[in-house]
Amino acid sequence: MKRLTIFAGLAAAALASAVPAHADSFTLWVRSDGSTFMPKVVEAFNASHQNKAELQIVPVNELVQKYAVAAAGGTAPDALSLDLIYTPSFAAAGQLEDITDLAKSLPYFKALSPAHLSVGTYEGKIYGVPFSADASVLIWNKDLFKQAGLDPEKGPTTWAEIRSDAEKIRKLGPDIYGYYFSGNCGGCNIFTFTPLIWATGGDIFSADSKKAQMNSPAVHEAVAFYQGMVKDGLVPAGSKTDTGVNFFAAFATGKIGITPSGSFAIGALNSQYPNLHYGVTFLPGKTGGMSSFAGGDNFVVSKGTKKLALIKEFLEFAYSLPGQTLLAKNGSLPIRSDIAKDALAGLDARYLVAADAMAKGKTPYSVVFNDLINSANGPWNTTLNKVFFADEAAIDPALKECDAMMQSIIDAAK
Amino acid sequence: MSDIVTGRDAVRPHQPVRHRPPKRIRLAQQAASILVAALFLFPLVWTVLVTFKSKAESAQPPLPPWPVNGWSLENYHSLDQFGAGLMHYAENSLVIAFGTAALTVVVSTLAGYGFSRFRFPMKGAFFILILATMMVPFQSILTPLFLILTRLHLNNSLVGLILIYVTLQLPFSVFMMRNAFDAVPREIAEAARIDGARGLKLLVFVLGPLVMPGVASVGLIAFLNAWNEFLGALVFLSDQDKYTLPILVNAVRQGHFGAIDWGAVQAGVAVMMLPCLALFLILQRYYIRGLTAGAVK
Amino acid sequence: MSGTEIDDRPGGAPSSARRVRRRRRIDYAGLFYIAPAVILVVVFFVIPLGMMVWMSFHNWPLMGRPRWIGLGNYATLWHDQLFWNALGFTIYYTVCATIGLLAVGLALALFVEKPRPGVSLYRTAYFLPVVVGFASASLLWLWLSNVDSGLFSPLAQRLGLTEVLYNVNAQFDSAFWSVTLMVIWKMSGFYMVILMSGLQAIPADFHEAARIDGANSRQRFLFITLPLIRRPLVLALILAVTGSMLAFDQFYIVLAGGPQNETLTAVYWIFNQSFVSFRLGYGSALSVVLLAILLVLSLVQLRLLHGQEDGR
Repeated sequence: MKRLTIFAGLAAAALASAVPAHADSFTLWVRSDGSTFMPKVVEAFNASHQNKAELQIVPVNELVQKYAVAAAGGTAPDALSLDLIYTPSFAAAGQLEDITDLAKSLPYFKALSPAHLSVGTYEGKIYGVPFSADASVLIWNKDLFKQAGLDPEKGPTTWAEIRSDAEKIRKLGPDIYGYYFSGNCGGCNIFTFTPLIWATGGDIFSADSKKAQMNSPAVHEAVAFYQGMVKDGLVPAGSKTDTGVNFFAAFATGKIGITPSGSFAIGALNSQYPNLHYGVTFLPGKTGGMSSFAGGDNFVVSKGTKKLALIKEFLEFAYSLPGQTLLAKNGSLPIRSDIAKDALAGLDARYLVAADAMAKGKTPYSVVFNDLINSANGPWNTTLNKVFFADEAAIDPALKECDAMMQSIIDAAK
Repeated sequence: MSDIVTGRDAVRPHQPVRHRPPKRIRLAQQAASILVAALFLFPLVWTVLVTFKSKAESAQPPLPPWPVNGWSLENYHSLDQFGAGLMHYAENSLVIAFGTAALTVVVSTLAGYGFSRFRFPMKGAFFILILATMMVPFQSILTPLFLILTRLHLNNSLVGLILIYVTLQLPFSVFMMRNAFDAVPREIAEAARIDGARGLKLLVFVLGPLVMPGVASVGLIAFLNAWNEFLGALVFLSDQDKYTLPILVNAVRQGHFGAIDWGAVQAGVAVMMLPCLALFLILQRYYIRGLTAGAVK
Repeated sequence: MSGTEIDDRPGGAPSSARRVRRRRRIDYAGLFYIAPAVILVVVFFVIPLGMMVWMSFHNWPLMGRPRWIGLGNYATLWHDQLFWNALGFTIYYTVCATIGLLAVGLALALFVEKPRPGVSLYRTAYFLPVVVGFASASLLWLWLSNVDSGLFSPLAQRLGLTEVLYNVNAQFDSAFWSVTLMVIWKMSGFYMVILMSGLQAIPADFHEAARIDGANSRQRFLFITLPLIRRPLVLALILAVTGSMLAFDQFYIVLAGGPQNETLTAVYWIFNQSFVSFRLGYGSALSVVLLAILLVLSLVQLRLLHGQEDGR
């Protein structure tokens, strides 16, 4: 393995020397979800700087394995815009460069998204800094609200309100449904379902992420809330097998009253469905309150890269007001709270709700996030898929079993 | 009508006059054949028709399958919007598929000839070794393969990918080609040998034309498999300029921000599917003859 | 394989040719001809396979440093309920798919074996799905079985078979049979061709003789046709069983292992452990076990093949 790294190092050196010294370049990967904003940022950077970024977009489902295999073969990119929840596991594997100094040298370090930095930190060192942001929110269809005799300007603020609004909307027609969620998508549900739990005062992990807490009252109640809506036919049949492909599209058809979604939906709805009237609000707790999953990408640097100076130059560009504005215009929330308002100036006001949610949001921390949550075959997804579409009696044993499975995965990773 | 598929019936052994079933039964047979053919063809036809719907129509159930509000190429356009464009990926796929087919033909013809016509030590063991490749899930040796390619400086190269695809093709292809050579009467080779043809010359000019059906079917199957392979292409090619069609279509399938563009997915499937169908229809005579000649042994 | 197998074939010439060869002396030129194939197999199969076995004795994360743990992975595997479930499902699928493929393949072969008007067109039609890739076919099915935008559910509803849209992929049975049906649709043409070649090699006077002796069509099928196509049938069996035991694409693309992991196959679980959980060592250990199972299965099936020769 060591020899391979040396090989790759030599190859990289040979390549580097072939490029004229005054215009260096570094390689950068981004997951395909970032294909709306990253190419724009890279394009602007390359146009205004002598040094260049070479961007590669990688299909989101295969990003981690592709990166890891490339790293094993010594061909990893210099930098990577990574789904933030993977930062701990990448750092734990020793793949990433400690960029604590780089991060702290930024004058606006304190204004960077705290949720991103919390998952970007491993054993006290910073391995990932925020790059793009996406917060989960609740969106509702104003036209359907109006038709159902509800106040189109007021979104639900408790679970009971969500439910009663959904019931009224369901009555509008056989193919109009009150609520939608992707029932077979671990990633979607960690993003939109856990905030319901958080806002009710519960959590799926203990504070130090060492203990699974699936079998806790708040989780139980949130599951029962979804299960009840499914049982009463407020949710379309397709939900049960939706692996996330319909996560956004279902609401976009205009036949769904309420759905939990992300800030990305604002841009996507505005550009693709300009005639759909919708509102954005916080994901509520059982009797009020709010929470949000602070998602998006962390920017990480592969261990041993020689391009740290270039990478810093690129980051500084992305963090500048023009950079942040460019991100905001192309589907990401700004990640600098000090200039968020400026970056969002002139954009849809609903972004401000999302930016607010972002600032108050949290991100679960786990080095085995993929195994636990995102994997289609992991305990989180299979359990939710089971209990959402089952009977009340099934909840207790299923959550207990899920808790045990999660705990064994967490313990095995130690 | 003569048999365009296999051409076999003409040379069938001991073919006596058949008892012709009564007309009623023959008609029923024809009707059943057509019905079954329709069942087999409908998903293919359905998909191709659907791709010509407009974007909005593509999201609806395909009833009827043909476009109702006018024909449109919108879905192909949106497929073309992904990455470096449809043509670019199609070109990569073509290079890989042709490369794999050509190399598979050469390697497996040589090996088939060797296994069929020569006696040498460990022959059986080598043959079993090659066949055994079939039994290992390719996914499970992905990482070692990647490390080996890196060591050979062949990672992120179409050549490396082709070599791996050829290896995956070998068990089937070598088996087929050995049987194809077995089927050639020995007297022919003997006669040619007396005329002075030896070694490679004998193989290429005398035996080659005789095993053409086997070559066609080995080449075609290698082409199709390489054209359609997904996981290896994804892992071994790290440069998006080198990606192949299946990777493009998979990216489309994963959708974008929780929305899947079914129309573009169908267009992608059609683009992957149609060349295979066309190639098969052109070469089917050789292909099926090769397959059957290889299989009966 | 022994020379007697040739006797199946029409015209005995090659058989005597074999015997000629048997008397020939050892010719090392053969090694030269098989060298490229052997080199490829060694470099891209034997060595990776050896590395796989080596890795199976390690805790080998995709990233980070491997650690030798001896038989640790195999011990874990012994208690890995999900793996044994996946293996059980794979065997269930293999049985269903193999029966389906061989039955439909044989039925089609009998159907198109004899020359009659248009038969070549029918053969082509039944064979066409074979040339479509597994990934393409799976994507196609993903769409057709989608409850909202697909074909099956809306069609069933419009025909009045179901009252509301029925989500095919939400229940194990319907999801499983939908995918199995897709495999039969896609692959039975292949088995048709293999079996058809066997049928066509049966001299027609065998049937004539049996007919004259008063055998009905069922008897002729059971006692003449089946025994005489045993060799292609066993070949088809081996191909179908091996292919089904390694099934992955269709369950990955169409069902993602759902509902609730009930359609996880053995290879899918290996893929998951290696490339979702990044436990390469463990994934390798699983591969080694699956490989051993496949070897045993193949040996059993090869005995079927040889049983025929011994019986002559």
